Amino acid sequence: MRIVVVGAGVSGAHAALTILERGHDVELWDVGREEAKFPDEGVSFHDLKSRLADPTAYFLGTDLDGLIPPTSNELLRYPPSRQFLASPEDPLGSFISDGFSAHGSFAKGGLANGWGANALAFDENDLSGWPVSFSEMEAAYKTIYKRILVAGPLDDDLTPLLPGVHPSQPPIRLTAADERLLQTYQRRKRKLAKLGVTIGAARLAVASDPSRRDACDYCDRCLWGCPKASIYNPRVSTLKECEAYRGFHYVRGRLVLSLLSSAGRITRIRYLDTATDEIREEACDAVFLAAGALQTGAIFLRTLKAARPDVSAHTEGLMDTAVVRVPFVQLRGIGQPPATRSFQFNRLIVAMITETALWPRYLHGELLHLTGLLYYPLIERLPFDSRLSRKLFFVVRSALGAATFFFPDRITSGNHQAITDGSGRWEKIQLRYRESEDKEQYIRQSVSKARSALRRLACVPRGVVRSPPGAGIHYAGTVPMGDGPKRCDATGRSNLFSNLYIADGAAFPSLPSKSITMSLAAHATRVARSAEL
Amino acid sequence: MSEEAQLLFPLWQIDRQEYRAVCAHLGITPKAQIYDRLCGYLASAPFRFPPPTGFPLFLARLRLTRFRVARLDMFTKLFLHNHPIRHVLNGVIALHECNAEGFREMSAAPTGWAVPLSLLGWAAGYAWRLAVTVPWLGWRLLGYAAGAPFRSKGELTAKRILVTGVNRGLGMDLMLHCLEQGGEVVGTVRNAQARDELKARLPAQAPTTLLVADMSRPGALVEALETAQIRAESLAIAILNAGVKYEGESVLSLANLRDTFQVNCFSAAEFAAWLCARPTPEARAADRVALVLVSSMGRWHGMHFGGGYNASKAALSIWGESLDMELRQSSNRRFTVTIVEPGIFESGMSRQTPLTRFLFASRRDVAQRIVSGALAGERAIRPPVWFALLTWAVCLAGRDFRYRLFARAKQNAERR
Repeated sequence: MRIVVVGAGVSGAHAALTILERGHDVELWDVGREEAKFPDEGVSFHDLKSRLADPTAYFLGTDLDGLIPPTSNELLRYPPSRQFLASPEDPLGSFISDGFSAHGSFAKGGLANGWGANALAFDENDLSGWPVSFSEMEAAYKTIYKRILVAGPLDDDLTPLLPGVHPSQPPIRLTAADERLLQTYQRRKRKLAKLGVTIGAARLAVASDPSRRDACDYCDRCLWGCPKASIYNPRVSTLKECEAYRGFHYVRGRLVLSLLSSAGRITRIRYLDTATDEIREEACDAVFLAAGALQTGAIFLRTLKAARPDVSAHTEGLMDTAVVRVPFVQLRGIGQPPATRSFQFNRLIVAMITETALWPRYLHGELLHLTGLLYYPLIERLPFDSRLSRKLFFVVRSALGAATFFFPDRITSGNHQAITDGSGRWEKIQLRYRESEDKEQYIRQSVSKARSALRRLACVPRGVVRSPPGAGIHYAGTVPMGDGPKRCDATGRSNLFSNLYIADGAAFPSLPSKSITMSLAAHATRVARSAEL
Repeated sequence: MSEEAQLLFPLWQIDRQEYRAVCAHLGITPKAQIYDRLCGYLASAPFRFPPPTGFPLFLARLRLTRFRVARLDMFTKLFLHNHPIRHVLNGVIALHECNAEGFREMSAAPTGWAVPLSLLGWAAGYAWRLAVTVPWLGWRLLGYAAGAPFRSKGELTAKRILVTGVNRGLGMDLMLHCLEQGGEVVGTVRNAQARDELKARLPAQAPTTLLVADMSRPGALVEALETAQIRAESLAIAILNAGVKYEGESVLSLANLRDTFQVNCFSAAEFAAWLCARPTPEARAADRVALVLVSSMGRWHGMHFGGGYNASKAALSIWGESLDMELRQSSNRRFTVTIVEPGIFESGMSRQTPLTRFLFASRRDVAQRIVSGALAGERAIRPPVWFALLTWAVCLAGRDFRYRLFARAKQNAERR
């Protein structure tokens, strides 16, 4: 039986490993680009400036393409030295955007190469719109928390709010700024509880046990690529586990375009051989689509158009979390020395629980204090001339932080992928997306609450930075669970093709606030376990 | 050549002296390698960011001193986030931050009790800068308003401009000015080597099409345009600037004379015939096209041992005027013919003094004047005006006087 898993990101890797554990052979098809090795293991972010031959090229790009202009709203940008993100001009790209900045990856490991490592599980309330209960998902979560090392406390204020999360590593070390914030939180916990705000150490997919060879050494370079591979990446862990099986075949250089069907079954896969630039076809017996919600939606749409021309060629949905940042100044941190080494991503998380009818109850936020970053965009954002802003920034640097909130999404009519009529070697996919007014209201209310909470934490919130639609990179819902030819069932099996499984976020019928990566892995594992092979 | 003259886009780029002024304002130490990187980055700015217009453009043209940087920094931070100076300051801070020494210097900050004292001092400094900036800005605004009636306008965004002979001199400045103002340039050079050298100098994002056309060969320009599938109706301005001068050659050297006339005059006639020929409906519907013929003030008088250069320019000017008459006669309002007769302008070789700066316009200023004049449909442009008046006065003084004057001028030039 020829089983093909499409995509080598988190979903693909866990689907493949689960199928291998069931005793079947698996081919994992992937474009499979590789990032360059991250330099100088152990050297901290700021120390890199004296270690690299050309630090400017490393940090800002050879032509300074990574330099954020003063007119931009961006506070940070993916470093030009990271190559896992596909550029909008990539010849393999399939998407035409309409108000939605689509990020994609053709790298081995996919978008997980840039994962912020927050490892949370969806709870009963998060899954309320799904044909799957938390207890059904829990077994898969347990497997995932065994496969992926997660650092975090075993018991703190957040533990009752985070069922299904099972840390296996000690929590990530906090900086002095984090400690100050936590101390204030402990003192004012009751006042913050009235706002539904709980703060605790982040649950992070990071090896933190110092006895491990790959333990985090706090080099402050998470965003720039972890040289020790301490942060979970399917490329360096799950796919390596797959390689231990004789029945595993990683096939590089294949961009799957569509599937060919006969009598309600997928019979062949149509793909671009990126080495020869030729479009080819190969037979298969079962296919697991795990190419990321956008690519999976695109493959499904092209397949649908050929098999069922009577069905409209647009997906049921397209979802992404809206990302809103509230920068703040922690008054006690002014004039304090900065941390020299730390974990660069957020070390604290905030849960904002709402008791109203809003879904979901849990709004996820991340509290980030600035450590290893390029500061010039922040200096430019200060409301004084550059001379004063530059001096002032380094006095308040240790006090600056940002609370980032991730707002949930639901399937709404009008937000979807659609096939275009344009010419080309393969059909391009139009992404149509607009934020709903309900969501805007939810954001306004939550931001107002977040600002109140920050003030109670002796912080001064300043402004709100809203990322454009699509920047959340939590794409989902393009082939969601539910009824109808363009959906899949609760086990991820397509309602139209009996041997096609939707193993990634495309199958999510709604998108809660929490980071989705662990749920992607759990969903892929569940789908692979229950598939009829 | 002065350093400023080597900058591709002086509206965005700064020279070393200006960079030192920016560093002094920010309180950081200038570094040569950072300046080079900054210069490269700012060279691509015209193709990444919208060009300033109006008062912001007026301010962007000011040469940066430490005093002016302080004023512009404060004003633009409050009101003009897209001003070129903001890109300069942002770039300088970013580049210094990526440098180990630069970052150490920038990030040095007071701690403990020194913090409130420093904050007080900085607040006082900020208030002082603000107090100086407000009247300075008022003064500049007055200057801007007073000069408004004399200021040339030239909106080139989304316009395609043909410039011949772009690899050096006025042609290069014309091309750079058009690019700086948001135009797309089709430029011609004499050979592939010149094209490659020029391509290497220009930022990759610059919207230029460089064509090789040896204009001494009849029909070469039109052939190059057609090969590159450049349609006549796609051009908004065509500046025929390429010229040749055989210095020291007699007007009796017929081969050189023919070559000079071919490049300086007949190539223009060939191009104009192609441009105006059989207008298609698409062409008739297109916007007005400005044909600019770059002649010379030398066309008003003879010159010994100039290889017939002055004669060819006289022919070009007279032919251009004739073409203009014919177009007007036939009520063809789609084309305007602008004859440019530049006199003397600052070449960058001579020492700059306030007097030379007053008398001699820079080549970039002349380029700007030509483009704005072409857009306004002016029939003749003769920068600087005082030189044109002087030339005409010399012409009226008789042939003997002219001979003695130019013979002495040539002797002086040879001695130098």
